[in-house]
Amino acid sequence: MTRDLINLLFFPAGLGLIAAGLLYQWVDRKLLARFQNRLGPRWFQPFADALKLLGKEEIHPAGSSAFLFAALPVLALAGALTAALYVPLFGLAPVFSFPGDLIVTLYLMSLLTLCIGLAGAQTRDRFSLAGALRVFTQMFAYEAPFILALLSPAVALMLAGQPSSWQIGELVLSAAGQPWFLLTLPITFVVALVGLMGKLELPPFDAPEAETEIVAGALTEYSGRGLALFSLARAVELVVGLTLVTALYLGGIGAGPLAAVLFTAKTIGLLLIVVVLQTLLARLRIDQTVNLWWRLGSVLVLAQWLLLLIFRVLR
Amino acid sequence: MNAPATERFVVPIGPQHPALKEPGHFEFTVEGETVVDATVRLGYAHRGIEKGAEGRNWTQTLYLIERICGICSHIHSTAYAVGVEQLAEVEVPARAQAIREIICELERVHSHLLWLGVAAHDAGFDTLFMYTWRDRETVMDILETMSGNRVHYSANVLGGVKFDLTDESAVAILKGVEFLEERTHHYRKVVSEDAFFLQRTRGVGTMTHAEALALGVVGPTARASGVARDVRLDAPYVAYADFPARIQLLTAGDLEARFLARLDELLDSFRLIRVLVAGLPAGELTAKRMPRKLKPGEVISRVEAPRGELFYYIRSTGGEQPDRVKVRTPTLCNMGSVITQTIGHNLADVPMILVGIDPCFSCNDRAVTVRRAGDDNGRAWAWADLRRYGIDYYRRIRN
Repeated sequence: MTRDLINLLFFPAGLGLIAAGLLYQWVDRKLLARFQNRLGPRWFQPFADALKLLGKEEIHPAGSSAFLFAALPVLALAGALTAALYVPLFGLAPVFSFPGDLIVTLYLMSLLTLCIGLAGAQTRDRFSLAGALRVFTQMFAYEAPFILALLSPAVALMLAGQPSSWQIGELVLSAAGQPWFLLTLPITFVVALVGLMGKLELPPFDAPEAETEIVAGALTEYSGRGLALFSLARAVELVVGLTLVTALYLGGIGAGPLAAVLFTAKTIGLLLIVVVLQTLLARLRIDQTVNLWWRLGSVLVLAQWLLLLIFRVLR
Repeated sequence: MNAPATERFVVPIGPQHPALKEPGHFEFTVEGETVVDATVRLGYAHRGIEKGAEGRNWTQTLYLIERICGICSHIHSTAYAVGVEQLAEVEVPARAQAIREIICELERVHSHLLWLGVAAHDAGFDTLFMYTWRDRETVMDILETMSGNRVHYSANVLGGVKFDLTDESAVAILKGVEFLEERTHHYRKVVSEDAFFLQRTRGVGTMTHAEALALGVVGPTARASGVARDVRLDAPYVAYADFPARIQLLTAGDLEARFLARLDELLDSFRLIRVLVAGLPAGELTAKRMPRKLKPGEVISRVEAPRGELFYYIRSTGGEQPDRVKVRTPTLCNMGSVITQTIGHNLADVPMILVGIDPCFSCNDRAVTVRRAGDDNGRAWAWADLRRYGIDYYRRIRN
């Protein structure tokens, strides 16, 4: 009981996770800045930003539901924090686990996007509305390939006749006994990583919050606490997403304290790749994002699955 | 929520908007993400400079004029100085003219690099933005070495220039230009080869040769559509007759062509700067005598600013002060093309198309009185009336 509470509130989920999310966000910002020939923020900047925003007055825009306006950020953060319970944070075994939690986690991760979209759609601001439209459009673009890509390791194990499961805890344990899925399923790995960038609205998929077009997109009307909660939810989602991709594609989780360090190092490594992509690529227009995902992303995932089936038949 | 899918709504951009570095107001009517109608309203940064010029003497006005634009300050003062010198019938020494041209070209380099960064930022390509602005510091440093100032170089005086090209600054120029040339080749490659960036520029905002002629666009915007229009060649001023620029013409007319036109112009500016530094004529820096009072007369002075043709009309009634200075900046000529090109495009392309003409709002803004036919009561506002109106207005809104 006490152990559960500590797990939930402090580590690995809860406050520890939020702190880790903000640190990851700092790594992202700092590296991006260095790659762009800037100095970048000091390590505590994301913490300071979050604290400052939490303490600021929240201005509720006229014409939107006050309840939804306040509830959506809370729901978004709750969704992200709940999703974190089922993934092996920092290479430790998931806090909770039940059969089929892989699917539930993927849906919980989408809650953030959904909340951001709804938050934009329910205010009357035109930039928010345009942003919300883009959030939903982008979600429909990357969501299917992203989910399929994260399900691929389980499917591959199943087809290979190995012990497989829709339960993340078991899945990552059996993945640890296999060669890295990064090597055997390279295509879906790329789709999963790039899909994560789409989910987090990082460049080049930052059309939903393109400041030169629609100011801050769906969150234009948000200030103070709501904005802080949304940004915390994004930070948590960054960790959850990186953890999930690492656990599934980079050799699952091992045992012992060193395994946890190694696992965390792997997530930072993935973050580095994400930052490099952010540096190199220019923003895609929303129609180009949709094209990319449906013409290329989905086809790639299906091609990978087809390859799996062919191997299965030949064997 | 129950609105039909085809409902149009108006997206206002400005006067305050992150895409605009200066105030302007645009209203884009969109269906979904497609722009179907566009209007523009300018004039938010009207500063009364033309009127201010009438209250200063010829020399003081030069410094006022230089402050019209914070990017192309030298070209404004050059246009004014060339016009005034023509009115005064003063012969400016060849060395002074050549130094003016060097600074004109350095300013073009600084302006185009600045523009490249802003345009990259609007396309969501912040890495290019940061790198171009870092490299732009090189040319700012050169200008500081030459003049002591980064923005308002204050190089011109009526009848010549204020400072000479020292050996030290010549070395700095050649070194800086070599570095920038290498970087510009790199940026040209990025702009013409980066697949993600090309998706945002190739075939976007295309303006045909005929449209460009009909809209009367100027500068690199026109040259990207194949209109051979460059005041440096059409009506050479300062030393452009002896040290001619080469026109950079492209035919595609889309955003990519506008990027390439400016980058090609940069490369030509580097060539021209080298030629100028190597072949700088010897001689004085200023004319022997510049009269304080000018003979009555009027003059039109045209120069090629980084954004296109800059037009000055100057009239003297024989006093120490100009009777009228009229400035028309290239942004005004190009603004019409933004309105026509955005229609039919995605809303996401609008900032790119707008930045494609390299708009400079505050240089462009003038006070305009629109009189409808029929309700013209024939009342002209004198200076005293305007002043009284202003005092009353602020008293009214304060209460």
